[in-house]
Amino acid sequence: MSGPCASRSWSGTLFLAGSVAGLLAAAGIAFAADSGTLAPPEAFAAITDPAQRSVAYFNELSKVLTHPRCTNCHPATSRPRQGDGARPHQPPVFRGEDGFGTASMRCGSCHGAANFDPAGVPGHALWHLAPAEMAWEGKTQAQICAQISDPERNGRRSLADLVAHIGDDSLVGWAWAPGGNRTPAPGSQKQAKALVEAWVATGAVCPK
Amino acid sequence: MATITLSVNGRAHGPLAVREDLTMNDFLREVLGMTGTKFGCGAAQCLSCAIIVDHPDGTSATMPTCIVPATAFDGRKVRTVEGHAKDGRLTTLQQSFVAHFAFQCGYCTPGFLNEGQVLLERLERAPIPRADLERVISEALDGHLCRCSGYVKYHEAVRDVVLAEPGRYLA
Amino acid sequence: MARLNPLGATTFEARETFPGSPAAAQAGGRIDAFAKVTGAKLYASDLRAADMEGWPADTAHALLLRTADATHLFTGLDLSALDAAARPARVVTAEDLAKGGIRVPPFYAGDLLCPAGTTPLYLGQPLALLLFQSFDAYDRARVVLRKASPARFGAETGPVKQPNYAALRFTRVAGAAPGDPDVYSPLLEGWISPGFFEAGGRPVWIPLPTAEGGEYKKGATHGEQIRADIASAGPSTLVLDRSFRTQSVDPMFLEPEGGLAWFDADAKALQLVLGVQSPLEASEALDHLLGAAAPALRPSRIESHFAYLGGGFGGRDHTPFPLYLALAAMFLPGRPVRLAQDRFQQFQGGIKRHAFEIRSQIAVDRPSGMIQAFAADHVLDGGGLANYSASVAVVSATSAIGIYDVPKVDVTTVAEHTRAVTAGSMRGYGVLQTNVALETLVDEAAEALGLDAVAFRRRNLLKAGALTMTGNPWTVSVRTPEILDKLERHAIWRDRAAARAGAAAGTLVGTGLAVCAKDYGTGADCSLGRVEVDPTGRVRIVCDVVEMGNGVGTAVAERVARFLGRRADEVSLARIDAFDALGLVTSADPYTLTQAEQDAAARNPRWVPAVSSATSASIGAHVGTQAAAEAARIVLRFGLWPAALALWNIRQDDPRRFLWERAFWQDGMLILSGLPPLAQEKVAAQAHAMGALTGAMAHAFSRWAWAQAAFPLEGFEWAADIDALAVRRGGGRFQALDRSFVAFPPANYNRIGTSFTSSCGTLVRVTIDRTTGAIRIARAYSVLECGEALVPEVVRGQAQGGFAMGVGFALLENLPPFEDGPGNGRWNLGDYLVARASDLPVHALEVEVLPPVAPNEPPKGMAEVVMIPVVPAILNAIHDATGHRVRALPVLPEDLRRVL
Repeated sequence: MSGPCASRSWSGTLFLAGSVAGLLAAAGIAFAADSGTLAPPEAFAAITDPAQRSVAYFNELSKVLTHPRCTNCHPATSRPRQGDGARPHQPPVFRGEDGFGTASMRCGSCHGAANFDPAGVPGHALWHLAPAEMAWEGKTQAQICAQISDPERNGRRSLADLVAHIGDDSLVGWAWAPGGNRTPAPGSQKQAKALVEAWVATGAVCPK
Repeated sequence: MATITLSVNGRAHGPLAVREDLTMNDFLREVLGMTGTKFGCGAAQCLSCAIIVDHPDGTSATMPTCIVPATAFDGRKVRTVEGHAKDGRLTTLQQSFVAHFAFQCGYCTPGFLNEGQVLLERLERAPIPRADLERVISEALDGHLCRCSGYVKYHEAVRDVVLAEPGRYLA
Repeated sequence: MARLNPLGATTFEARETFPGSPAAAQAGGRIDAFAKVTGAKLYASDLRAADMEGWPADTAHALLLRTADATHLFTGLDLSALDAAARPARVVTAEDLAKGGIRVPPFYAGDLLCPAGTTPLYLGQPLALLLFQSFDAYDRARVVLRKASPARFGAETGPVKQPNYAALRFTRVAGAAPGDPDVYSPLLEGWISPGFFEAGGRPVWIPLPTAEGGEYKKGATHGEQIRADIASAGPSTLVLDRSFRTQSVDPMFLEPEGGLAWFDADAKALQLVLGVQSPLEASEALDHLLGAAAPALRPSRIESHFAYLGGGFGGRDHTPFPLYLALAAMFLPGRPVRLAQDRFQQFQGGIKRHAFEIRSQIAVDRPSGMIQAFAADHVLDGGGLANYSASVAVVSATSAIGIYDVPKVDVTTVAEHTRAVTAGSMRGYGVLQTNVALETLVDEAAEALGLDAVAFRRRNLLKAGALTMTGNPWTVSVRTPEILDKLERHAIWRDRAAARAGAAAGTLVGTGLAVCAKDYGTGADCSLGRVEVDPTGRVRIVCDVVEMGNGVGTAVAERVARFLGRRADEVSLARIDAFDALGLVTSADPYTLTQAEQDAAARNPRWVPAVSSATSASIGAHVGTQAAAEAARIVLRFGLWPAALALWNIRQDDPRRFLWERAFWQDGMLILSGLPPLAQEKVAAQAHAMGALTGAMAHAFSRWAWAQAAFPLEGFEWAADIDALAVRRGGGRFQALDRSFVAFPPANYNRIGTSFTSSCGTLVRVTIDRTTGAIRIARAYSVLECGEALVPEVVRGQAQGGFAMGVGFALLENLPPFEDGPGNGRWNLGDYLVARASDLPVHALEVEVLPPVAPNEPPKGMAEVVMIPVVPAILNAIHDATGHRVRALPVLPEDLRRVL
């Protein structure tokens, strides 16, 4: 299934996030009270409508997507944010043409191949910013969903690519082992992958 | 412990055993006794600790040293503030800093010098239009904090080096 | 880890003498320029034991643990997280200090280390010193301790209550007509403080019906009358009653405090390398600290070496840091120890700027546009230790009406103890806070009266000779009228309406101005200077003044060169050990000395009111260079000039022998019209050959006027603005001269708030994004006056730097009080934003320095005033753009978003 087709087909089946939460509550499904965890796909089995269940998967996944570990490097502007408080990055650094910083301020100048805990600096060999069209900061779950489902705004990724990006990419995986005093993204990358897979398998329906 | 070998200002050091936790800043200041590279914030936010890394492809870049382990510099060639002048003769940029009274307390000077020098070398490889000069200087130096000078004279000092040799730095 | 290839130990004094080498001298610029641009070791934080001649090779390391809790009982440390490789060799606690007989110097009163079982006095109070034998152990430990504090706490007690640090009232009632004597003023009646306090510690300002405190009652009765008059003013009077809040900030000098110390137990000598603005004070504090200690902890000699500073801004003036460094060395005898704060620790423990709550009331006669009365109340957060709080309170009060002439003024000021990090001296203190409240209030008043902002200011200016609110006039040039003229005529001001109207879509544009006159000097300022010429003409200068970026070494070299024909080959600063030949003695606190005490003491020709000052209060150019300049003048008059006369064969009966002031130096040659130019080297050689005067050292003292004295020299009485002098002839030793006459400024000058001011005006154009509230300074202009600018490039640089610091104070920098503030140990430059180049109009900042009023106008201090009007100018511009009056700092984009 090609990306653009998928995007058109999903637009017909959108649900209100609020109504899904209500449905879940009605179905007796308790959200994990701890925002640091992710519910497994099985937790949503009580939702019989696949589209509604798909939305539920995405909403659960959104705990990760809207977490500062992710939004800090999917910023609304060309400047990343940092820390749990998501303050603008100091010193001021910018995306640059390739996403790896400007000519004078390259991401890799400070961010090494791995976290350097003595100085509290996060690291990964490919430390860089998401492209501008993949900005998530400040967006609603519905907006992020529409965005990551749209190949024009998701780095021309198919749904399978998305599963791999969220589920297997090691830079994304850093979000669950950020080091220092950073709060990790909820759950684990494996759990997040399971949710993306479940979301895709149920039609990749977006909340509204 | 890890073993590193590196070149600082053209002089070879190592192989030396260092702890993985040792920062490059402490390697320079505590192990080599080279304190021209400063410690300002320990968080790469002031860049008074920045040094120059010369890449094998002929390009160079600055790197902070306060948050980067010494092991990350294994096999690398670096330059520090102590390596710019040769036999007591200042470089053009150093002389420009002096002539402009660019710095006051001087604690940020090593970082600005290294950044300015890398910029000049970059412009030499890839000249820019005159109209872009102020913007490019501002972008290059903006990571560096100075509490004394208000930055004006640093920017003027770099700009005047470029303008003195437009054929070398400007497209 | 042992250090590789040390570059070689050398004497500290040789290392810190500049320019020092021919290559460095040739480079030009600042005398320290070559050293600074080549990465020479010159800051205290650069030096290790291996760099110090005669010291052991290896350096031990100390870590000062501070508290992030000041509301619970401190129960002790749990260092079990440190494994064997990270364990300190010694842990020094309050108990050790008590047992060892360590005394706290009075200025720093309060426990140096918090005793277990008590509640810390303030956030950031030190708890213990951890001493490590090796860098490795220290490095491992600090990583562990940064993650989790080892401090343990018990029951909640709430913060420790302490009395306030100062509560004062300054009231002035001018005579009925201009020129009439004052009815009441601090100069006439003395400074007053209320004797009564509420249970919470706040002063009772109203005059109580008791027999006590008569002096206070008299002033307070006048003050309350002024307030009553403001409250009952009729419709022909404009009354504004406003509150303003300023925040605490950090000096954020770039070099965190650090130093090196070694207690040589065999010689019982303690040596230290320090970076402070106040060398003599630090030395005296160390003497007191260890002076009554147990024998093992009491050195017989303390030798301090004072290094160049990586910035100061007041934050290294009277800092307690040297005390902890000395303790580290004393408790690890025989080992050189380094104590150096990282930035988190510097935020947690370094001196801060006082946060202010200000209430201001102004009454303006509507028909004339003249300010009739002003009343204000200041509450300062002094933090955990007294430090400079009393002085900051005084300066804030006595600067409360800025550049204006107001016949009735009443200002109360109180500096309170809180559990915040200690606030002390920082650039522009007192005036920075009150000027922003006043200059925004004045703008608002002008607008309410329908008067132009410049015209209203001009109408109310304090003119030369008129009285300030302490009842004394300013005794230096008063150039605020010219400053206002410059601002009014500048394009940024003239074009303000067009700029406002032409704002791009989505933006607002506004223009603001403000003016400030800032005191320089403290009313007891000293200078020590020593100048020598060798037989080859080389010039050497030694001063007590400290180089912290202010360019004072270059300024002193400039002043000396005018007399000695050559820029100094060697300048050695921050030296208090090179003036023994003067044999100076001093007695009581110069600020509280009575006239009788002064008169009696002055009979001793070696007595001076104070010996050496901190380099602070913008005194570098005016005071710091004074003694060396006067010494150089004497070397010229009684050394080089007689040598030149000899070379010219001018005999005793030739009237030209008195023309020394007409001679001048040009390109190293001494020139007197009609005579062959003489090379400086030749003149110097002749002076030495003749046994003429080749060196002089002097002491100068200023209490809002120079002490003056006369000294017998070569058959003349040499009168100068110095109060002690020693001279050297040929290659001989320095010998003190007894003064034949001395006049110290009267003791009651201590009642003056300030009589030395320099002024600065600033214009800014701001652009505000309507959506984000982001504020950009598009253009700016600062105009200042400082008498003679000794090194114009340094003056401009200070003005540019002051502008940046002003922008930071207005728009960026903020330290919240208490547990969320710097005392929690988690602050660094990611959260605390100082101005970067991208926050500033680097290419659109114009600085103008007015020429001196006369060729012989002395230098005036300017390093503080340049940051002050920037802040209200920005706020006035924000008002112009948005119609909104900001009354709290800093102004953040979200604040503007809310009102737009």
